[in-house]
Amino acid sequence: MKIRRKRVQANVSSAATGDIAFLLIIFFLILARVQDDSHLQWIPAQGTDIEQVKNARASVVIDVDNNTYLNGGQIGVGQLADELEKVIDVDPNRAVLFKVHREATAIYYEPAIEAISEAGGTVYHILEKE
Amino acid sequence: MKIRRNRKLLVDPPEAATGDIAFILIVFFLVCASVQPDQGREQNLPRSEEQEEKKNQTKNPTVLIKRGEVDVNDQRIKLAELPLKMSELLRGKERPEDRIVVVKSAKDTPYHFWIQITGQIEQAGGVITLQIEEEREVQVP
Repeated sequence: MKIRRKRVQANVSSAATGDIAFLLIIFFLILARVQDDSHLQWIPAQGTDIEQVKNARASVVIDVDNNTYLNGGQIGVGQLADELEKVIDVDPNRAVLFKVHREATAIYYEPAIEAISEAGGTVYHILEKE
Repeated sequence: MKIRRNRKLLVDPPEAATGDIAFILIVFFLVCASVQPDQGREQNLPRSEEQEEKKNQTKNPTVLIKRGEVDVNDQRIKLAELPLKMSELLRGKERPEDRIVVVKSAKDTPYHFWIQITGQIEQAGGVITLQIEEEREVQVP
């Protein structure tokens, strides 16, 4: 008599796919948060002739307390040019988003503009349409 | 004989779908939270270089921005007159190096005012160049 071997099916449980997707999203969210500057407080100045700005790798923010940030991390103006150069060297557009609180004074924003210029960046003043 | 109706039916929702529901909810909130693309104005500035101050160094127009005031070539002008004045000064100048406008700012000049003035200069065809005075500390023995 021939005894048939019993076949056991080994399926991967698909119930966990939702959980895996959830964890992946959380992972990428945290990763994206590193370069985010949305937590910084600043009010844009108003301007005319403004256009949609292309994606840029670098953003320089001067907030309501006149602190300077590069890609969300606080930085001294003295180190800005060197650090900025490292970031924009890999960007063919060399675009730098410049977000300055509308009431910030020249003593704070002019050295930052100078640093962007020194790093060879193209400044995009982020403004609000009048 | 009275037949009792069975009222204890189990109507639990399938738990297997909770992961998918969470996933769709996250995607929904991500789309809602996605910020608008930034809008702004491009400004091409020449690379900075240190230059000693010399008298009558340049024939390019010089604009001094103070809080609420503007001087063009050391002459106070009204804000409304600035576009016309800049057009006059830059008339007939074709080369970019001839259209350079040297912009100096007082330390207390607010950014929104600076943007307004530099915007008007650029609209008149000027190429902005900043002149920033360097502060040096000298210790007196």
